[in-house]
Amino acid sequence: MSGAMNEDWQENARMIVDSARAVVPADGNLDRIRKARFHGSGFDRDVMRQAAELGWLLMRVKEDSGGLGLGMRETCALMELLGGGLVPEPVLSSIMAASLLQEALPEAALAGEAVIVTAWQDRTGAQDWRGGSAGGRLLGQKLNVPGAAGADLFAVITGDGIAVVPRDANGLTVAGEETLDGGRTGLLTFNGVEVDFLPCDRVERVLQDARLAHSAYLLGLSERALAITLDYLRVRKQFDRPIGSFQSLQHRATEMKIRLELARAAIYATARRFDTGADDRTCSRDAARCKLRAADLAMLVAREAVQMHGAMGITDEADIGLYVRKAMTEANLFGGPRQQRATLAALLDQEDAA
Amino acid sequence: MISLPDYNAMNDADFRQTVRSFVEENYPDIPRHALSRLHWEEVKPWYLILSEHGWICPTWPRENGGMGLNAGKHLILIEEFERYGCARVNDIGPVMLGPLLLKYGTEAQKAYFLPNILSGDHIWAQGYSEPGAGSDLAAVRCEAVLDGGEWVINGQKTWTTLGMDANWIFILVRTDKTVKKQAGISFLLVPMDAPGVTIRNILNLELEAEFCEVFFDDVRVPADHILGEVNQGWTAAKALLGHERVFIGAPRLSASAMSRLKRIARRAGVWEDPVFRDRYVALQCDVMDLTDLFETYVDKLRGGEDIGADVAMLKIFQSELYQRISDLMMEVAEEESGLRLPPEADRQLHAAATYLSARPTTIFGGSTEVMRNVLAKAVLDLPS
Repeated sequence: MSGAMNEDWQENARMIVDSARAVVPADGNLDRIRKARFHGSGFDRDVMRQAAELGWLLMRVKEDSGGLGLGMRETCALMELLGGGLVPEPVLSSIMAASLLQEALPEAALAGEAVIVTAWQDRTGAQDWRGGSAGGRLLGQKLNVPGAAGADLFAVITGDGIAVVPRDANGLTVAGEETLDGGRTGLLTFNGVEVDFLPCDRVERVLQDARLAHSAYLLGLSERALAITLDYLRVRKQFDRPIGSFQSLQHRATEMKIRLELARAAIYATARRFDTGADDRTCSRDAARCKLRAADLAMLVAREAVQMHGAMGITDEADIGLYVRKAMTEANLFGGPRQQRATLAALLDQEDAA
Repeated sequence: MISLPDYNAMNDADFRQTVRSFVEENYPDIPRHALSRLHWEEVKPWYLILSEHGWICPTWPRENGGMGLNAGKHLILIEEFERYGCARVNDIGPVMLGPLLLKYGTEAQKAYFLPNILSGDHIWAQGYSEPGAGSDLAAVRCEAVLDGGEWVINGQKTWTTLGMDANWIFILVRTDKTVKKQAGISFLLVPMDAPGVTIRNILNLELEAEFCEVFFDDVRVPADHILGEVNQGWTAAKALLGHERVFIGAPRLSASAMSRLKRIARRAGVWEDPVFRDRYVALQCDVMDLTDLFETYVDKLRGGEDIGADVAMLKIFQSELYQRISDLMMEVAEEESGLRLPPEADRQLHAAATYLSARPTTIFGGSTEVMRNVLAKAVLDLPS
């Protein structure tokens, strides 16, 4: 897939989603996901190679930089599908790296021979990214780096610019911890790593893009978790009736559906605004509210899904548990609900001033 | 009949400006931004002005005296009326009965009733609910039997909005007790001044007589005062037609409540309070997300797509959101939440008025609970 894409985003999105069927089985089978848990890096390098071969890394690279120049609507459509399939590979983190680096994206990453991920976060529970460098070198830490345990290259965002750092660079140590979903999160510590910084004035915007795209991942996750739960409500019988016939459960199911459709509407309307040139304040506000909506949705569906599955819901054997653990792991990335509301509250003053 | 231009052929911006100018030039000296309904005597000048200009029935075809607006243009008209704060007229005739007459009425019925709606000579009320038939509307017991070429009606209707202002009422009546309840209902058209019709006003929580009970005691109307076939009334009653169902879920009630909440918060000195703001922005997001969802339905209407049962999601969320905003208003208003009259005689600052006006939204037009039943079955495919 290369060259100029169709002008019609829906057609582009369909092509991307079709291509993703190589990674996300149409029948919802989760065997690969289950097996990948708690082993090694927690993801499959072959899938990352496929992602590169399918052109996903080029989605957010401009056409005159050799990319596909696709928009956020197409990106969200892909992320929604990956979320539905609980895909553990750090696809979004790679897309971010490519979006930041544009034509400077290393050839090995473009070819799928090396896995590149983005390291941006200075501290847990905040959206700060300007740390990690001093005196023209990398110094300090980057936290919560997805896929760090299996990555070959890091695109490190600092206040001095973007640095591409190989895993074996002198002065870099990679540590990490297991996450609930069976993956690993990375902690990079820099002890004066010699690098070249590429200037970049698009960091905030790329983070907004990522916040929105990650919301779409949570949307896909929630949609599939709701579908699995509805299936269960239709077949599980108690008191000689399917439990889905009980009004208390029906009404709670409709609440999940309403929240899901609000999230979908907000995410794709926001993606359209991003693609058609919204101003910075609109981007900040709408990315924040999509992330707020999607995180709340994922956690709502997670807790309702467990309850509606009864005792099956608290077993590791039932697939719904994979969705619950993923929601718990992912809902707070790029800022949880509290942070998003704080962002929005700060924007109120700007609105008053405007 | 007034000859109107083809508004659908105008671009949206021009049409919006046309509506805006029309309202600014023509709106009479009656209240704007009213939270509760105005009665006929108050709102009549606006009805008659709309009537005079051919604007009283926006969605009717032009050949029937309407504006012939498509859904997109109709939305613009509604938005501009709302923006100016135009009072809602007694619109049961234009909005509810007119489209039903056009669809199910005989030529004679159309020829008689439509012009009277257009002129404001007939003000209609809707007689659906009864004491024992609310959410379970098909359980209506008000009965009509044919006797000597006339329907003889006995029974009661209730929650008849602005029924005291109406001179005609359409009612669902039981015409066959031997069949499944939905199959024995007919749709009758009754003049309110017929002998045997009496009404009793009901004060609502706002202490206003916005609805009433209507009693029918051997009321006789000609046999041709039936809309559609005998025992086919349920079909007509359920056909709240087309895009009106989308507009019930429009975010405007919630959006305007947010601006009042902001004023009340400023007055109470909590606008800068981070605890308040945390809750305010959560509601603000709900309004914006609802707006995005609403727009997806508007896009469908513009594209000529049919609207499915899933549109009930809009109404459920909108009405509950409106109530949640009013909850926070009441909390923020502190002791002033209990005042009967608005602080400083400014209705925008009256939390209780919003709180009370938000109550019926989850009850009328299909209660939230009934809507959820419908969604569960028709959209989520959950079993009965």
